[in-house]
Amino acid sequence: MSFLLPCPLCGPRDAYEFRYGGEVKSRPEPGSDPDVWAGYLYLKTNAAGIERAWWFHSQGCRRWFQAERDTRDNRVTGSSPSSKGVAPDVHRPEAQRD
Amino acid sequence: MTDRRLPHHPVEEVSRDREVSFTFDGRRYVAFEGDTVGSALAAAGAKVMSRSFKYHRPRGLVCCSGRCPNCMVDVDGTPNVRACIEPVRDGMAVRGQNAWPSVRRDFLSVFDHLDRVLPVGFYYKTFIRPRFLWPVYEHVLRHLAGLGKVDIGSKPDLHQRKRHVHCDVAVIGGGPAGCLAAIEAAAAGAKVVLIDDQSELGGHLRIRTAPATGDARIAGLPGFEAAAKLTALVRSDRNIEHFARATAFGLYEGKLIGVSQGNAMIRVRALQVIVATGAEERPVLFQDNDRPGVMLGSAILRLARLYGVKAGDRAVVVTDDDHGWRLAAEIIGAGINVVAVVDSRNSMPSADLVQGVDTPGAVTYLGAHVIKAIGRSAVSGIQISTNAVKRSIKCDLIAITCRPEPVISLLAQEGVSPKFDPALDQFVPGVRTVGIQAAGHVEGVIDESIVVNRGVAAGRAAADAALGRTTVHLAAHQSGLRQPAGQQPIQFDLPPARKAFVCMCEDVTVKDIKQAIREGFDNIETLKRYSTVTMGPCQGKMCHSLSARVHAAVAGQSVSITGLTTARPPFQPVTLAALAGPHMAPFRQTAIHERHAKLGPKWMDMGEWKRPLLYTSVEQECKAVRDAVGIIDVSTLGKLELRGAGAGAFLDWLHPNRFSDLRAGRVRYRAMCDDAGIVLDDGTVARLGPDRFLLTTATGTIEAVEQWFTWWLAGSGRDVQVTNVTSEYAAVNLTGPLSREVMTRLTRLDVSAKAMPYLSALEGEVAGVPAIILRLGFVGELGYEMHVPADYGAYLWDAIIEAGHDLGIEPFGIEAQRVLRLEKQHLIVGQDTDALSNPIESGLAWLVKADKPDFIGRDATAIVAARGMLNALVGFEVTGEGVPAEGSAIVRDGHAVGRVTSCKWSPTLKKAIGMGWVPAQDAVEDHGIAIRLGVGTHGKTTSGKVRTKPFYDPEGARLRM
Repeated sequence: MSFLLPCPLCGPRDAYEFRYGGEVKSRPEPGSDPDVWAGYLYLKTNAAGIERAWWFHSQGCRRWFQAERDTRDNRVTGSSPSSKGVAPDVHRPEAQRD
Repeated sequence: MTDRRLPHHPVEEVSRDREVSFTFDGRRYVAFEGDTVGSALAAAGAKVMSRSFKYHRPRGLVCCSGRCPNCMVDVDGTPNVRACIEPVRDGMAVRGQNAWPSVRRDFLSVFDHLDRVLPVGFYYKTFIRPRFLWPVYEHVLRHLAGLGKVDIGSKPDLHQRKRHVHCDVAVIGGGPAGCLAAIEAAAAGAKVVLIDDQSELGGHLRIRTAPATGDARIAGLPGFEAAAKLTALVRSDRNIEHFARATAFGLYEGKLIGVSQGNAMIRVRALQVIVATGAEERPVLFQDNDRPGVMLGSAILRLARLYGVKAGDRAVVVTDDDHGWRLAAEIIGAGINVVAVVDSRNSMPSADLVQGVDTPGAVTYLGAHVIKAIGRSAVSGIQISTNAVKRSIKCDLIAITCRPEPVISLLAQEGVSPKFDPALDQFVPGVRTVGIQAAGHVEGVIDESIVVNRGVAAGRAAADAALGRTTVHLAAHQSGLRQPAGQQPIQFDLPPARKAFVCMCEDVTVKDIKQAIREGFDNIETLKRYSTVTMGPCQGKMCHSLSARVHAAVAGQSVSITGLTTARPPFQPVTLAALAGPHMAPFRQTAIHERHAKLGPKWMDMGEWKRPLLYTSVEQECKAVRDAVGIIDVSTLGKLELRGAGAGAFLDWLHPNRFSDLRAGRVRYRAMCDDAGIVLDDGTVARLGPDRFLLTTATGTIEAVEQWFTWWLAGSGRDVQVTNVTSEYAAVNLTGPLSREVMTRLTRLDVSAKAMPYLSALEGEVAGVPAIILRLGFVGELGYEMHVPADYGAYLWDAIIEAGHDLGIEPFGIEAQRVLRLEKQHLIVGQDTDALSNPIESGLAWLVKADKPDFIGRDATAIVAARGMLNALVGFEVTGEGVPAEGSAIVRDGHAVGRVTSCKWSPTLKKAIGMGWVPAQDAVEDHGIAIRLGVGTHGKTTSGKVRTKPFYDPEGARLRM
């Protein structure tokens, strides 16, 4: 697993400089069903294809960003700084259909 | 010992004026500096160098390039060293492997006659019953089969180096195509790395005298001179970094190449990769094709030209291709007598090739196949069949010079799957991966004159792509290669032999493969795993395509359909030590470390930190804190500074309780959980101003907490800045009933109970340095936690020790701190809680403010509150004998219903106390419990009573003094 991940601030770096932060998900509304919470906490889409996920540049700029990566061949098709992405605490009902 | 040296040749690596000596199985041999162990033994006429894996058959040099297992020896205690590439050193002790008593006379060679009871996969069918004997079988078989022995007591070489290299274009393989690719890429402006496993560049040209063709720079020069010219061109080019004697063992994702060079591992990251690993000869199948004396033609030539060693006096060349004739001419030119050429084709090659082999006594046999090698421990003759007539030829060397096959493993590792080309009758690189090119003979054995041009084209294209001058994806399949004249499909017949070896590493014969397929393992993948073909040290270098061809022939299907099994790194063996690199074990120490070291404490590792565990004794240190005053270095606590108008609201979001309403100058306990309601961390929050907070975490959690905080901030638009100030501040905790007295001696600030009550925070000078002072009570006494800029840490420590000296101040360590906090039933996250602990069951229900609009873990904690507690974290005191070990079970009716998370002997209370999890209904004051004492006590239990209030000062009066 030695692919290159383009950090929006630092440029392409070895994947081991980063910490994987999970698929980008939409946090359930307060008061949601326990099953919805369980899905948010424990289930992943785990697509064989493009995945949008959080990454933390732990050995570099120490910033969070999102990247789109084809999980079949680890080709990263794009990365965006978190200022352009959606924050973890925002509920986006349309995102849950992804 | 006969001397088999040839006259001097300009290419040779040996220095004939410098002699070295070494021993092989106790016998002394003399060699030249520059010899390999293999060449030196061959020069002395020692042909048997090892014994095979299963049958203990004699084996010797075959490939002379480190690609096969047949010359593996133990050198100075290092097993599985390939003699043919290991340079000799004076005084080396070489031992044979896998033989008893010696490689020359191995009693275990009796197994060679037992092949009928040791067929393929025999261990799945025999030596199983009677079952009680199985451990014996296993033990005996383990010792009888195998290769080298590892000396477990040997010290590893700690001088491993690791290098990281970046370049525009990486070229793997320093033959003519590879060299010209590197030269062209550099000329086009790229930064180039050229990786080659030989000491000199030039690849196969280096040992040839036939003139090179193709590029003007080398055309017409004898092979070895062309090689020297290419070497000079590369060496003089400042844009090419040439790694010599370096093996690229893996091509990984992201165009990362793993290279091992001596005791160094080099990671090369390239924008474009060119694989020019060439083509190698493959073995031929006939009875006893593994006899010492059966060697690849190129091996004989290497031995002759690079080391000046004659591998035999009478050679028979076996071939199916013009390549064999060219090589035969070279072998003759090197001074070895060729007595026959055995060609499986039915017609003679072109006149110029025949002319090269036209020596007196050399006989040509066409349409001929080899039946067997004659000779018991070495070749003494060969039996062939021409037109169904059998014939024996006396010889001591059989040169296998069939059409070379592309070395495609590295390409296959990175997605360039092998494809069978029926026209070339070879596996060639298939669909390409973007950015990885193949150049030269590795693309398929092609006309020598265009090999170099492929390299030139590849180099130029790679440079253009790397430097962004072109957007063309270099993934197009390069078709239309011109085949060398005289190409004919390789004839492939399965010999009816009993011992025709396909895989020499694992002793797998044609007969074995036939049987395995008969038994149902008729897919290349299952065949490989059942028969273990290609699974030995050579990893298929000698037998991969051969096994596919045999499989195809037996199963009656085409080789294309049969396919190849997956190629995986490492291509060549690499030691774990090389992969690990230099041994480094960094640790962190606080700014006050030297002061602790002077007192000679017992140290402990807390994550990467070194912390004092114990200075004197737990009793003495606890007594000092409870009766007088103690000081502990808490610099390792994680600290975050939060600033901004949104900081308070952000803290409210992250925690079950509130912080936005915390007044400036006040401190509050914090415990944080995630959306699953699991306790992650605890510590304190001090508000130092309207928009300024100092937050502490536990020692080991700061990295996770910082990432957690910054993640929730990402893209949220909140006006908060989070800074990790763990290293910025040194911190100490001064605690005990006399701590206020010490403080008044160090500061002009009003530290009276009225001005600085429990849970207050102030900023000011202590001992003349700026400090943040928090009144906390982790150990249950009046106490002051002081944070100062780290550079002042040691100074502050000294000032406090001096100020408290007459009051009996003592430093205390982690062990004492653990006991003191346990006396107060203060939990430690990660010790008293785990990955299933929620705040409500951990005794922190009072923290959860359900009236807050939303916070992380709100719904989860509400679910637990509604459900009710199933288990609870409580304190307990031991009423019986002994001190239970932390982690022991709390039992009822012999079953574990809970566990001990902390347990210590309290010198203050003179009893054993602890904390642990019990079923919720047992979490009542005075409830009796049975506690196991721990590992090694055979389930013995002791009795205890649940205590729901702190053992020491339950009302907390001493904290609030």
